[in-house]
Amino acid sequence: MEMFIQTLVAGILIGGVYALIGLGMTLIMGVMRIINLAHGQLMMVAMYITFVFYEFLGLDPYYCLLIAPPALFLLGAAIQKYLLDPLLKIDSIIPQNQILMTVGIGMVLTETIRFIFHSDYKSVKTSYSSATFMIGSISWNVPMLVAFGLAVLITAGLFFFLLKTDTGKSVRATAQNKDAAMILGINAEWITQLTYGLGAAMAAAGGTLLLPIYYLFPDVGGPFTLKAFIITVLGGMGSTVGAIFGGLVLGVAESLGATYISMALKDAVGMVIFVLVLVFLPGGLKALTKV
Amino acid sequence: MKKRSTLIALGLFALFAVFPLVEGSDYYRHIFIIALMWVVIGSSWNLLAGYTGQISFGHAIFFGVGAYSAGICTTKLGISAWWGMLLGGPMAMLSGLFLGWICFRLRGSYFNLATLAIAEVFRLVAIYWRNLTEGMQGILIITTFRSKLPYYFLALGLAALCVFSISWIMKSKWGFYFIAIREDQDAAEALGISSFRYKSLSLMVSSFFTGLAGAFYMNYMGFIDPEVVFSLYFISIMAILVAMIGGAGTIWGPPVGAFIMVLLQELFRSSFFGYAPKWVSDAHALAFGLLVILAIRYMANGVVGDFPKILNLWTRKKPMPSGAGGD
Amino acid sequence: MKKYFGCVLILTLALFVLVPSVALCQGSIKVGIILPATGEKAKFGEIEKKSFEMALEEINAAGGINGKKLEFLYEDDTGRPDVARSAAEKLLTKDEVVMLGGGYGSSETFAIAGVAQQNRVPFLVNTGSDNKITEMKWDYVFRLNQPVSAYPEALESFMTDVVKPQSVAILYENTNFGSSGSKEFQQSCEKLKLKVVMNEGYQSGGVDFKPLLVQVKQRNPDVVYMISYLMDASLLMKQSMELKLSPKIFVGGGAGFTLPEFVQNADKAANMVYSATLWYQTLPYPGAKEYYDKFVARNNMPTEYHGAEAYSSAYVIADALKRAKSSAPDDVRESLTKTDMMTVFGPVKFVAYDKMTNQNKLPTYLVQWIDGKLELVWPKETAAKPYVYPIDWQKVWK
Repeated sequence: MEMFIQTLVAGILIGGVYALIGLGMTLIMGVMRIINLAHGQLMMVAMYITFVFYEFLGLDPYYCLLIAPPALFLLGAAIQKYLLDPLLKIDSIIPQNQILMTVGIGMVLTETIRFIFHSDYKSVKTSYSSATFMIGSISWNVPMLVAFGLAVLITAGLFFFLLKTDTGKSVRATAQNKDAAMILGINAEWITQLTYGLGAAMAAAGGTLLLPIYYLFPDVGGPFTLKAFIITVLGGMGSTVGAIFGGLVLGVAESLGATYISMALKDAVGMVIFVLVLVFLPGGLKALTKV
Repeated sequence: MKKRSTLIALGLFALFAVFPLVEGSDYYRHIFIIALMWVVIGSSWNLLAGYTGQISFGHAIFFGVGAYSAGICTTKLGISAWWGMLLGGPMAMLSGLFLGWICFRLRGSYFNLATLAIAEVFRLVAIYWRNLTEGMQGILIITTFRSKLPYYFLALGLAALCVFSISWIMKSKWGFYFIAIREDQDAAEALGISSFRYKSLSLMVSSFFTGLAGAFYMNYMGFIDPEVVFSLYFISIMAILVAMIGGAGTIWGPPVGAFIMVLLQELFRSSFFGYAPKWVSDAHALAFGLLVILAIRYMANGVVGDFPKILNLWTRKKPMPSGAGGD
Repeated sequence: MKKYFGCVLILTLALFVLVPSVALCQGSIKVGIILPATGEKAKFGEIEKKSFEMALEEINAAGGINGKKLEFLYEDDTGRPDVARSAAEKLLTKDEVVMLGGGYGSSETFAIAGVAQQNRVPFLVNTGSDNKITEMKWDYVFRLNQPVSAYPEALESFMTDVVKPQSVAILYENTNFGSSGSKEFQQSCEKLKLKVVMNEGYQSGGVDFKPLLVQVKQRNPDVVYMISYLMDASLLMKQSMELKLSPKIFVGGGAGFTLPEFVQNADKAANMVYSATLWYQTLPYPGAKEYYDKFVARNNMPTEYHGAEAYSSAYVIADALKRAKSSAPDDVRESLTKTDMMTVFGPVKFVAYDKMTNQNKLPTYLVQWIDGKLELVWPKETAAKPYVYPIDWQKVWK
């Protein structure tokens, strides 16, 4: 029984981190229908920014939450403006060239970082990296709890932003019907740039929070992109609350799968859930609610 | 028009047939063999995606299944891996049926992601199911021929067969149905074209040839493991790049793309065969990524698709604004 | 249509023109070295390459190969076996090297060995550890380093003499290195009549190993043996600490557990962790300490057993080439079989034992992280510092 609870706890906590990364992706996919294969790499860049501030200025990663996300916001908006927007105007046989562009962007980000920092594995040592507190015999990892809490906070913030503010409503409008939004006077171009930037900033936050409990190298992004997709589809494209639940479900499913089926197939669990959701519940968890 | 293109095709075939006899170095023959293999994979992907509009991100499934069919012949069945050339295609088609059954009900991004996910599942299962696939220790066989010539001609034959078959299919009734589905699936359905049936047919052919390429790979390289043959970036995405940079939705696009991609990769990795300074090879992945970005940005329809545009650049003619009337 | 033909013609002609160039350096002897320069394993590839370079300088300064200069041509296998294979073919056919060296990852080494054997050119492996590489009866493939089955040998004697455990849990990453290592260790444990309560693989690069470690905790083994190339090692230890696992000892299977990055990331979770290793700079082999000091001074970074393997390999290659009747592959191969020399990595002589051929037989050692430094602790005769056992994990992790 203890094993089950500890596995559950581990899954929920990691789910919080996943959710943050998924939040960014769901925004981007929800509004622009772009499959952003560079998502993990954006996260990776944020992690390196965090690392640099830690290494050279002694800044604690949590303070970097005020630096890395805004930086990635700018980077993301720039990418959207200069690389992705122009593609929308080109008439091509397959509209999927946007996806390939993100592949190229991901590669360039990874290799540029590798050029600067080499392939070394970097770590950030903080006093709280492995801090845990025990409830009974169940161990709770503090940084992950913090990440979880922050993920919830950020989601609430985003939710409020999308529902109550004018800009937020414009984002949702553009997501529903871009042309109609433009007719109604919304500057769709600027909105898409904003959205991509926001998505990148979310990924950055996820990365910064992940750094104390993981490690850093140029190729770290890849697997997280896949997880972000799964969460996005699970939760429902464009649903912020869905992303939280999606992250949790994925985290718990992976944990339980790793314990009771096999650790080696942990990633396969996520993939299988992914396909099942796609086939049987295409709208994701969001479709089950009205949010 | 038909006669001329056939002449050109035959001419090309003859050129390629003569190449290895002129170029004695195994190294260059190897590069060409790999390029020819990618002609097959790229063209197959193009049939499903460029012509039928089903953009698969999981073509590694078929390649891997084909490669393992051949490998398992040796490790489990005790027969030569060459039997894999006969088994690889049909086994890949079976996995294609499976993929289609799950994924064809999905559209757009959902379809893309589903194929990606299923390919990853195949990869993870191949790693885990050690009893069947030898897991990460991979399958190693001693290649039958020491000389590269038999492999070269086999690859050339496969590439020719594949391109010819696809060209012939696209000129037939099937070809029209595929394009109709690509352009507007609902309208096609309304006209009585069973989209599921024709998408499946396209997938059958596509997976067959890709599986064949996989079996060839096993026999030629002599070593496979799950990370190599089920790879997302190096097989699935490479297939997409080959077809798109060459020109999706055209017959000659994928072949051109295959040669461009394979040559470019090796050029950068080896610092232009040793003629360029060392740092070129250190930065080869970066250069490659930049190239992808530039190519997609400025040549979205690929080399073949945007050929007029490229030619205009060359002859310094001002590109004609689209839709301009008169002459 | 004409445009197509013209373009294709130009392309094809251009390709025909790319005929291989003449050897740029006449009169030197060329050996191909295949290592990962990019990709995940680049870190190790870098240490090995720098060691090769250091040795090469020394060899050439001392007169090279009977007066002729020795040249190493490096190729990047990017950590993938298919690229390794192509790199080997390029070195053999285009650059016409007299033999091959290097071979880091087991999968890559296996692929290169296949090419070498087929082309009948000698290949001296210095790191790839899967036993199968020298079990194929390939007479052109030689291995300097210990096979993965030998990695835990020192651990085995340590367990028998000191720890006397009843049960073992094995955790390994799903790569060739991990799979083969875990299989071999399980067999050794069974021979020692130890109960293997768990033998589980995991995908490397994971964030959360708790599901795996929770099971380990439940089964409460005396020894936890982990095989990881890289950073999983540090996460495994950090999370074991969080879950308060307390076996008698934690042991790593080399690689990730002996890297400086391990202790950088795991901090106090790395303390008192043992690891198998193939070499250590205080071993009584002539030149071992000098190699270590010179490398650190030159490159401003530490080195470890991989570097020593590369450095020694260069000397073995030079020695074989010097004694060879000619630079024809068969003569070089013949000369390699007669190798009998001392290097900083240890004595080198290629023999046949167990199921292997052309394999150098060397002991392995046990190191332990003590207060942030890696110390050689077993076998007692060669230990630099005394081992710490038994271990009170509560105190260590406070």
